[in-house]
Amino acid sequence: MSTTTTTVPTTNSTAMADFNRTTSRWGQITMIAGLLISVAGPLYLVFGTGLDIGPAQLWIAFAAVAATFGIIWIVEPLTYYPILGPAAMYQAFMIGNISNKLLPAALIAQTNIGAKPGSKRAELAAVVAICGAAVVHLISLAIFVGLLGSWLISVIPPQVLLVTRLYVLPTVLGAVLVQAIVSMKQPRTTAFALLVSAVVVFVVLPLVPSLAMVSTAIAVLGTILLAWFFRGKSTVAAARPIHLE
Amino acid sequence: MHQPLAFQPLTASDSPDIMAIANNPVLWICVAGVFGVIIIQSIIFMKAARRAAPSVDMSAQDIRTSFRSGAVSAIGPSLAVSLVAIALLGLFGAPAVLSRIGLIGSAAYDVSAAGIAAGSMGAKLGDASYTQSVFAVAFFAMSIGGAMWMLATLVLTPLLRKGDAKIRSVNPAAMAIVPAAALIGAFSCLGLTELPKSGIHVLSFVVSAAVMGTCLLLAKKLGKSWLREWGLGISIVVGLGAAFLAVGQAAGA
Repeated sequence: MSTTTTTVPTTNSTAMADFNRTTSRWGQITMIAGLLISVAGPLYLVFGTGLDIGPAQLWIAFAAVAATFGIIWIVEPLTYYPILGPAAMYQAFMIGNISNKLLPAALIAQTNIGAKPGSKRAELAAVVAICGAAVVHLISLAIFVGLLGSWLISVIPPQVLLVTRLYVLPTVLGAVLVQAIVSMKQPRTTAFALLVSAVVVFVVLPLVPSLAMVSTAIAVLGTILLAWFFRGKSTVAAARPIHLE
Repeated sequence: MHQPLAFQPLTASDSPDIMAIANNPVLWICVAGVFGVIIIQSIIFMKAARRAAPSVDMSAQDIRTSFRSGAVSAIGPSLAVSLVAIALLGLFGAPAVLSRIGLIGSAAYDVSAAGIAAGSMGAKLGDASYTQSVFAVAFFAMSIGGAMWMLATLVLTPLLRKGDAKIRSVNPAAMAIVPAAALIGAFSCLGLTELPKSGIHVLSFVVSAAVMGTCLLLAKKLGKSWLREWGLGISIVVGLGAAFLAVGQAAGA
């Protein structure tokens, strides 16, 4: 990372130091702002609109989500850091859709200007490319989802909307499950996951319905334990970093 | 099917009309706020990159090329994300979809988090138990998850910049197995939970999974990476199409 060559004039290192300082300070400020604004909306709904929801219910929901995704929250920044570099980290985790949109954008930009991976030029190219991707993404979201989507919802027949509402969840989850299995390439873990989930959904839940609220957490924990104790050597060698964001 | 643990009685203040609160003006203001923060961040980062560029042999042309490459390569993925987002509008409303699936998070995480949160209230997304309170808690769960990602980034980035050896020396076997097991475990449990609901749920799930498998297979066989990007959107549309036909058949029979 450190490019402390004697041939480089001092202005270069001060210019990059300035870049690092600016992006780190403003990256943090903008990310904290984004974090607060994004949580403010649902908190307003929960406490400001007269709905009867206690804080306990929020904590339970949070615990249930954390039990499932808590590990990913920490692991994902760790696996992206070497690819993105510090400045782009603050962009990527706020804009989202990193693996399917931002990484390809950064890589194509680096290739197009012939920047070596890991170099300072590559780092700047990634930051600039993500800015370009952000502009396109914001415009397409505003037009296609904000305007066109809202119009679409108002004109499509109610029965179509009802079918969408009822069955969009199984369609998303069916596709996402296949995508996760194929992209992670861990057949043993996949077998354990399907086995544990089948037992939880078709055996445990019908017997003890009150476990419904922690069923996903049970399946996650069971899969982790089985995959860990019965891990093969090849799994570790062939493992690829996981990408959800 | 399962009896709810913390059942929310259907009171006057807990109507099933999700859209009445999903389009609350305050939520639209928050969406505008997130858009604004990303625009401001992009402007600051662009300026900083332009200032630093000459010192690393990067011309103004290189900056333009990088920006344009990033923009052009994002067109396909952005449209693919928009398609997925439109499919979820009926479930979550435009503000939640724009700020959660469109930005910050991803469809896979946010739909899962919403499903888990609804489950913790003994409700199911999309059916009669999906009330305003359930929506509010589900939206909270999606958002707090995104916030935790940002929090982890805020804490870890400065540490990693200092090259903290401790963080990088996490057991590689654990890093390889545990996160993958957590994700596949979560998605398989959430997916299988949909199956006992009805035959049409099973049909939607199976059709969508098969379409995604076909897309990924074709993407690999034909080397067409756009099939990978559009896989989720195509699967949802075909899966919903199958569900619509099945509903029509059931009604006609």
